[in-house]
Amino acid sequence: MKLLQTGRWITAVGLVLLAGVYVRALAFTPVERFQGPAQKIYYVHVPSAVVSMMAMGLVGLAGILFLLLKDQRFDRFGEASAEVGTAFSVVMLTTGPIWAKPIWGTWWTWDARLTLTLFLFLLFLGYLLLRGAVTDPGLRARYSAVLGICGLVLLPFIHLSVYLFRTLHPQPIVLKPSAPSLPGEMLVTLLVSFLVFVLLYVGFVMQRYALSLLREEAAHA
Amino acid sequence: MWRHAWYLARKDLLVEFRSRTAILSAVVFTVLVLMVFNFGRDPTAVAAVDLAPSILWVTFTFAAMLALNRAFQLELENQALDGLLLAPVSRSSIYLGKLIANLVFVATVEAVGLPLFALFFNVPILHVLGPLVAVIALATVGFVAVGTLFSAMTARTRFAELLLPVLLLPFMIPPLIWAVLATAALFAGRPLSEATGWLRLLAAFDIVFVMLAFVLFPATVNE
Amino acid sequence: MPEGVPQNSAFMIAAYVVTAVILVGYAVILYRRTLKP
Repeated sequence: MKLLQTGRWITAVGLVLLAGVYVRALAFTPVERFQGPAQKIYYVHVPSAVVSMMAMGLVGLAGILFLLLKDQRFDRFGEASAEVGTAFSVVMLTTGPIWAKPIWGTWWTWDARLTLTLFLFLLFLGYLLLRGAVTDPGLRARYSAVLGICGLVLLPFIHLSVYLFRTLHPQPIVLKPSAPSLPGEMLVTLLVSFLVFVLLYVGFVMQRYALSLLREEAAHA
Repeated sequence: MWRHAWYLARKDLLVEFRSRTAILSAVVFTVLVLMVFNFGRDPTAVAAVDLAPSILWVTFTFAAMLALNRAFQLELENQALDGLLLAPVSRSSIYLGKLIANLVFVATVEAVGLPLFALFFNVPILHVLGPLVAVIALATVGFVAVGTLFSAMTARTRFAELLLPVLLLPFMIPPLIWAVLATAALFAGRPLSEATGWLRLLAAFDIVFVMLAFVLFPATVNE
Repeated sequence: MPEGVPQNSAFMIAAYVVTAVILVGYAVILYRRTLKP
């Protein structure tokens, strides 16, 4: 199948490029003065967080489109995006505490964005659990679309609620409307890493989507 | 639509209150959770008043979960839901009917739970009763709006009793956070203006999720 | 390395290893699942 082959190639290229990102981040990007080498965790943590968020957004969007158009493809995409998003949120949830320990002095704290990431992970898991618990394919597609949309709407509320609770997470410094306050070389590394993570997301989703197709074929045969 | 919703809600509530098993179990469960909290803390280390908002809200969260779990289970017996779907009522009125019935059910449990909570933990609630009821009402509407939608889905899955809490709890956290903060402000005797911000957020959550669930509900039952 | 920069490369290496293990691991899992769906 063409989709599967393309997905495999994109994933392979993405993994090679990931090695390239490591080399660039470790050898060719300056060490931050106050945080030391641990700051470099940022180059894998932030892209995985952004990609997980994006994956959840696309799950919600796929849900809306599925309910409007009743097209199976959106359901398969939602399933693929949720599973791949789970993988990236695991990266985000493991690298976050590893960065927090040397910098904040604690593995975990109920900081706003940290809490948000945990929620994101739990939403993904809930979505996948719901899919596993429904056997009828038509019902499963509609249920998971509903849950995906609700999750998408919930995220801003969680953000708002935990933000008002209290926060010590570093403020976003890349997307500030004034000039980004990250030094040029670090910014380039971050953006390159971000692109590689997006590429990996695309490769993974294509493979996962192809897997759903293969399973449907096997079920019909 | 409202008339149909009201009939459906009344039917559910009649079934509920005639048999009394479910509502009694939920009330007893609430009392037991309150007792667990009493024995689950070291009374010499933590004063009851410091824990009071958390105790109140964890209890209500569990009680609401228990109530929502059976909302659609009832309809599954003897394929009552299929009959309901064949009846000439819109899907949305079914949701509204279920929502109203669940709200009344949860409100009844909370109405019994609140005085017992005040009694057990020696929390003076009378002087803040009005605002406290407003907080409880707004938070409950948020919980139950999402919960009714989800229980319609989980009722027809395997492990329904486990899946509903897993799906629903993340959605309960924002209203829970605001309700706890508002309740704490009220119990600490701080000015009312400190709680109104949280009340507004609760109201925003309610509006968004009641509307969303109302729009999405037909997708969970249409064949 | 200049004075005063914290010495915490161990954490950095740990995070990079964990990231690689998860992403490569998931790629392998996907590959194997698509071989025998």
